[in-house]
Amino acid sequence: MKLKEVDRTAMQAWSPAQQHPIYLATGTSAQQLDATFSTSASLEIFELDLSDPSLNMKSCATFSSSHRYHKLIWGPHSMTSGERVSGVLIAGGENGNVILYDPDKIIAGDTEVIIAQKDKHTGPVRALDVNMFQTNLVASGANESEIYIWDLNNFAMPMTPGVKTQPLEDISSIAWNRQVQHILASASPSGRATVWDLRKNEPIIKVSDHNNRMHCSGLAWHPDVATQMVLASEDDRLPVIQMWDLRFASSPLRVLESHTRGILAIAWSMADSELLLSCGKDAKILCSSPNTGEVLYELPTNTQWCFDIQWCPRNPAVLSAASFDGRISIYSIMGGSTDSLRQKQVDQLSSSFGNLDPFGTGQPLPPLQLPQQTVPQSVVLPLKKPPKWIQRPVGASFSFGGKLVTFENAKLQQQPGVQQQEQQHHHVYVSQVVTEKEFLARSNQLQEAVQSEGFVSYCQKKIDTAQADFEKNVWAFLKVNFEEDSRVKYLELLGYRKDDLRKKVNCAWNVKDHKQETEDLGSAKKTFNISVSGDVDGLITQALLTGNFESAVDLCLHDNRMADAIILAISGGQELLSRTQEKYFAKMQSKITRLITAVVTKNWKEIVQSCDLRNWREALAAVLTYARPDEFAALCDLLGNRLESEGDSLLQTQACLCYICAGNVEKLVACWTKAQDGNNPLSLQDLIEKVVILRKAVQLSQTVDPNVVGALLAEKMSQYANLLAAQGSIAAALTFLPANTNQPNIVLLRDRLCRARGDIPVGQEALKAQYERQPKGQAGPVVEQMQGPQAPSQQYYQQGDNPPPPGFIMPGAVNPNMPPQQVTPSNYSMYSQAGTRPTYPQTYQATQQYSCGTGGPALYQPQQPIAVPASASYTNPAPNTTPPYLPSAPAHSLPSPLYPGQPQPSPTSLNPVCSFPLPLGASFQHGRPGPPATSVAYALPTGPTEQSYKDVLSLCFLSVLGPQNGWNDPPALNRAAKKKKVPSNFLPPVPITFPIMNPLADPQSQVQQPPAPAAPMGAPSFQPPHLPAGPAVLQGGYPTAPQPLGPCVGPPAASKPSTEGAPGAPIGNAIQHVQALPTEKITKKPIPEEHLVLKTTFEALIQRCLLSASDPQTKRKLDDANKRLEFLYDKLREQTLSPTIISGLHNIVKSIETRNYQEGLNIHTHIVSTSNFSETSAFMPVLKVVLTQANKLGV
Amino acid sequence: MLEKIMVWDQGPTPRPRETGAALPLSVNQTQPISDSARATQLHLQFHVCVHRPSGASRSNAPGEAGQPWRAAGGAHGGPAAAASSCAREGPRGRAGAPRAGRDVLVLVSPPAPQVSVINTVDTSHEDMIHDAQMDYYGTRLATCSSDRSVKIFDVRNGGQILIADLRGHEGPVWQVAWAHPMYGNILASCSYDRKVIIWKEENGTWEKTYEYTGHDSSVNSVCWAPHDYGLILACGSSDGAISLLSYTGDGQWEVKKISNAHTIGCNAVSWAPAVVPGSLIEQPSGQKPNYIKRFASGGCDNLVKIWKEEDGQWKEEQKLEAHSDWVRDVAWAPSIGLPTSTIASCSQDGRVFIWTCDDASGNSWSPKLLHKFNDVVWHVSWSITANILAVSGGDNKVTLWKESVDGLWACISDVNKGQGGVSALPEGQQNEQ
Repeated sequence: MKLKEVDRTAMQAWSPAQQHPIYLATGTSAQQLDATFSTSASLEIFELDLSDPSLNMKSCATFSSSHRYHKLIWGPHSMTSGERVSGVLIAGGENGNVILYDPDKIIAGDTEVIIAQKDKHTGPVRALDVNMFQTNLVASGANESEIYIWDLNNFAMPMTPGVKTQPLEDISSIAWNRQVQHILASASPSGRATVWDLRKNEPIIKVSDHNNRMHCSGLAWHPDVATQMVLASEDDRLPVIQMWDLRFASSPLRVLESHTRGILAIAWSMADSELLLSCGKDAKILCSSPNTGEVLYELPTNTQWCFDIQWCPRNPAVLSAASFDGRISIYSIMGGSTDSLRQKQVDQLSSSFGNLDPFGTGQPLPPLQLPQQTVPQSVVLPLKKPPKWIQRPVGASFSFGGKLVTFENAKLQQQPGVQQQEQQHHHVYVSQVVTEKEFLARSNQLQEAVQSEGFVSYCQKKIDTAQADFEKNVWAFLKVNFEEDSRVKYLELLGYRKDDLRKKVNCAWNVKDHKQETEDLGSAKKTFNISVSGDVDGLITQALLTGNFESAVDLCLHDNRMADAIILAISGGQELLSRTQEKYFAKMQSKITRLITAVVTKNWKEIVQSCDLRNWREALAAVLTYARPDEFAALCDLLGNRLESEGDSLLQTQACLCYICAGNVEKLVACWTKAQDGNNPLSLQDLIEKVVILRKAVQLSQTVDPNVVGALLAEKMSQYANLLAAQGSIAAALTFLPANTNQPNIVLLRDRLCRARGDIPVGQEALKAQYERQPKGQAGPVVEQMQGPQAPSQQYYQQGDNPPPPGFIMPGAVNPNMPPQQVTPSNYSMYSQAGTRPTYPQTYQATQQYSCGTGGPALYQPQQPIAVPASASYTNPAPNTTPPYLPSAPAHSLPSPLYPGQPQPSPTSLNPVCSFPLPLGASFQHGRPGPPATSVAYALPTGPTEQSYKDVLSLCFLSVLGPQNGWNDPPALNRAAKKKKVPSNFLPPVPITFPIMNPLADPQSQVQQPPAPAAPMGAPSFQPPHLPAGPAVLQGGYPTAPQPLGPCVGPPAASKPSTEGAPGAPIGNAIQHVQALPTEKITKKPIPEEHLVLKTTFEALIQRCLLSASDPQTKRKLDDANKRLEFLYDKLREQTLSPTIISGLHNIVKSIETRNYQEGLNIHTHIVSTSNFSETSAFMPVLKVVLTQANKLGV
Repeated sequence: MLEKIMVWDQGPTPRPRETGAALPLSVNQTQPISDSARATQLHLQFHVCVHRPSGASRSNAPGEAGQPWRAAGGAHGGPAAAASSCAREGPRGRAGAPRAGRDVLVLVSPPAPQVSVINTVDTSHEDMIHDAQMDYYGTRLATCSSDRSVKIFDVRNGGQILIADLRGHEGPVWQVAWAHPMYGNILASCSYDRKVIIWKEENGTWEKTYEYTGHDSSVNSVCWAPHDYGLILACGSSDGAISLLSYTGDGQWEVKKISNAHTIGCNAVSWAPAVVPGSLIEQPSGQKPNYIKRFASGGCDNLVKIWKEEDGQWKEEQKLEAHSDWVRDVAWAPSIGLPTSTIASCSQDGRVFIWTCDDASGNSWSPKLLHKFNDVVWHVSWSITANILAVSGGDNKVTLWKESVDGLWACISDVNKGQGGVSALPEGQQNEQ
């Protein structure tokens, strides 16, 4: 789905992955002119704002530049240090200049945006790449094989990765390895790619296709496998992407042929190595899996070619493509509808009508509502295969009962070579998460107490352990509930003990007043006179004498003789007494008056209501002392209410004590809740403990229905039950859940708990009914008659696995992830097959050129410095057959000395060079047929060679830090020992001064080619033990194999030495072992007459096929087959084939004569299945190819 | 395959107690007991690690620097440290201070959480598992996988009985979601094949009851609305749209679609709990509550969005911006009766944010960084009581987080599953985790 577009003819670079927000930089392309033919240039930065649904890119900055660009990249250098917050933008210019920009400054609108600039290169700088591991390293490539490594920290002096490759050619692309930081690859339009090891400062391997049609436009390393890379070809005749593995660099691992015309650019996703983008001159943008070759996605594009394509590093689903019609488009590969695209068109249309108000009506056009569910073609399907980044690998979800459900998927080891673990187990773990251990422990204690009814001891324990006084108090109060004579105990708790009081009173007396008082009492026995004078005393006397108590009392009160007044009032009757008390209380203002008032008037409510709340304790004590049972609870409540409503939070908490005394659970809960942090489980536990105990107490003392639960308490209890459940204590939760309540929450919770415990469900109906009672939205009746499955939607998944395209399977080489260790077994088998090689006739054509196709020797050559002194002692006793075998390694003498500083291997370590070919040569020389001999001969070298090239590989790619010395010591030892066993009739490889890496076609290198000294005959080159048999066989198995397996098959080059012009023209691929040796005629034995018919028939058949074959590929294949059948003819000459095979071949000939190719194929199958594989592997597969083709072509 | 279940005693030196045979399993043990089943003690290690509030500062770790999208090789740590080290006492932490007695602080040592595997379910999926969800009661487990199947297991009493193996998707199945049981046993699943399938159990057999094919790309997330609203499913897709499927009875489903909810893809949807604004306590029944339906979504545009239904139309109510990369998951915390709404979101950028909103209008959301991990964070899940957040990341680690009294989020447990492996993080490393 297209997300955004910008109308620019420009090179593009995404901001690095670390950059947020995501920017796209564009620099005017040097190669294309846009529609305006403008020659000005600019560097622009756009922001990818996905929250804006329109197709417009938000322009952030434009910098008018004096350069036009061939390449633009954006590296994260200095981002983490903060020096350059947006990294560095690196541009390759037209005149050999490399320019560093600070994108942050460009965005800021600064004028000085160039950090540095150098024009060291010759010609346009087309290739740039930033090292992922050391982001300060940038590689650049330009004309004349120029490659520079720039250190952004020290930009002045670039380095070179090694000596320039010859011949000088343009560098079209360059790429750092994604796994090993010191490996760099460069590619040229000629189709050659060179891999450089910067530690060695030299090229370590060159890769190129055997046919020169490869026109390299793109190069990319595998994101995960260090030794793999792809090359893309721009040539319309060969519009392919080749995937190479350097461990098997003889031919591409895989060839992707999805494009019909040349490929202009490729980009490999770093987020998913299954996704390789390519765009070509067929105007397609494809996303394919390089590992299977399958096309996973084709982007909907217009008909324009794209010349540049880039994945967005930060957003893995996003890519940008620059097309020749002057547009950069941003796409998502996740599919989606293109509604927004149309919307843009609509908007553009509207805007050309003038700001949405085309007719000047003052009213903008109403937005055009596009109908939903539009035409199906607007829908773009996503990738066929889900990309890695949307596959959730891990998860953890909570579920009821404190269970945590977790799963994980062990990451696939991306290490090259480790094959998938045998059988992954896909487990889901259910865990119990207990976060509140203390809570649970306390809850258990509480349950025990309730069950055992040991409330008193429980409370006592609580009192003992309580750390806060208040807490102690509360528990003490609660405990009292279960004791006799609770009120007294309450009083005691409040600090009022009757005994204590008496003592206090006694003390108070004793100290001073007691004696005095008794003395006073004694003195009262005197006579007195009754005075009736006019003063107050007299008046009172008169009143008393007349029995007028009222007046007397009034007089006393008036005279402030309170005691007298009260005493008189007592005698004056109840009524007077009350009145007098009133007047007394009204007059007296002492501290305790009101208490006395209350006591006297029994008005406890008054106390509770009006006492100073700081005296709540006293008020409570009074209530405890005097209140009647029926009013006690209410009074406590009242006091509690007052305390609770008081602003002082300390007092608020004290209200709880009142409620406890009152036995009022609801109020306690409410009050407690107000004061506590309700979310803390422990505080809830605190509350619940008290509530439960109090409820038990209330049940004991008062006859209250225990099942009645207030709303608030119910809520708390269910909260508590929920908490318990969340800790996994479902059973406990059930016990605390109030029974007999019809509150919906609780009923539902109970049901959930019961089921969670695994009980038989209470019945769906009950539950449903419960829910029905709850108000619902528009939930209709749900369950009935849900509609049946609809027709399945369009299927776009291909059923079953696609078999890999034919011809792509090479044993041991197929799986990019396969470790060397894994490869080994198959290699061994190949070696044993290769045992047939020795059956080469000794008279084999001298002109034969075998290209050594294996990656093995080629790989280690660079490290084998010249010279094989040890092997010099081997002389060839059979001059006429001695091949001046040039092992590839020694042949590489040219480059070797050029690398000073290279640790010089010890002599022993040199040995591998010659020991590798020796056994071959030996068996070759002997020409001994028969498996035993050959297997010995071959088995020996395989170890070392295998070992050595693996070592080399690991040296280059894996053991980044390891020392180089001695890497091959062990193999060397082996070989040294082995060498003794080798028949010494082999001409040792001479020291060679010829760079084997150089392509044969290169005239320069041929000039340097030394004549083969000491080689009287030509050079029947040897077939390296690696690989050949495998591919050959497979080719047989997959007749349509597009790759003719050049390297493995020596003969082609030999039999057609002139096809490619120069002798030894590189027919093979990958590593071209340059062995254009002076040719000398070797006379071959004739083929026995009785078998000549085989040759003529086969050759005739191939000729017929060639005539009728139309496509070049088939022709190539047939040519190839023709050459390879030489193996057969050679065997015929030697008469080494077993009679059964011979007769089988004759049968095939017969069937060919009758044009019954199917029968021929059947016979072929029979032969292959019954004969010794090693005997037939060289030619039978080829024969099958021929037969199959013949059958197909119907010749 | 029925595995042995080993339950480890609590305590510092775990001693396995085999319960596989001892437990009177109510399940039919038709499958052989395999030795390969592992006893697993989930690693628990608790740290009182308060995240650095400045966690937004970018990590300079080279691992993080380069390639946020690269799959990191291998899990952290290794199975080296055996299960011998159990809970390690952390530093004495914050005091839990009940407000009751202000005069005294009750010192409570931080609870060391215990996470123990009580059941290991061998799903026999043939490919990666992408989701595993328990039903409402915690007795059935639904799993889904890249092998295109959805499986349902009865996992009561530590057993494992395969109830259903649901085939119908044609691509990897990303998520499953259980509907509330009041509607029956209903499971929704979504897949890369662009379909949402609703499965239903009728008379003991599970069958497809509805298939929704209205998306143009992978459907990444499904989530059922609170049951109070009826049977409504939200689906988020890579085509950027969110669909809302409402059951209208008679087998009919009504579809509403929010187009372009998240450009290039919606990764997660999560409903807000059904809370009537402004009321803490349940409204008297009979009166139709005035619910406001909301859900949150997260997507490839790095945004968390909150959607609200107004007059039957879904409108974008809020855009929450804090993540700098794809939002992988959002989880709206269950209501615990407080007026605050809470959402957790996690992202490709390794960050987990906790968003809270105190006002009823739902307009002011403020983010708080829970932690910045070094790898993608794929999934966040709230406990039922909304006080613990489980975070699972690309490093195959599950961490449990809890908000302390002072509002800071602390990692209370670091669960390293699989192979019984224990990753013993050195002290102080936790912050860099």
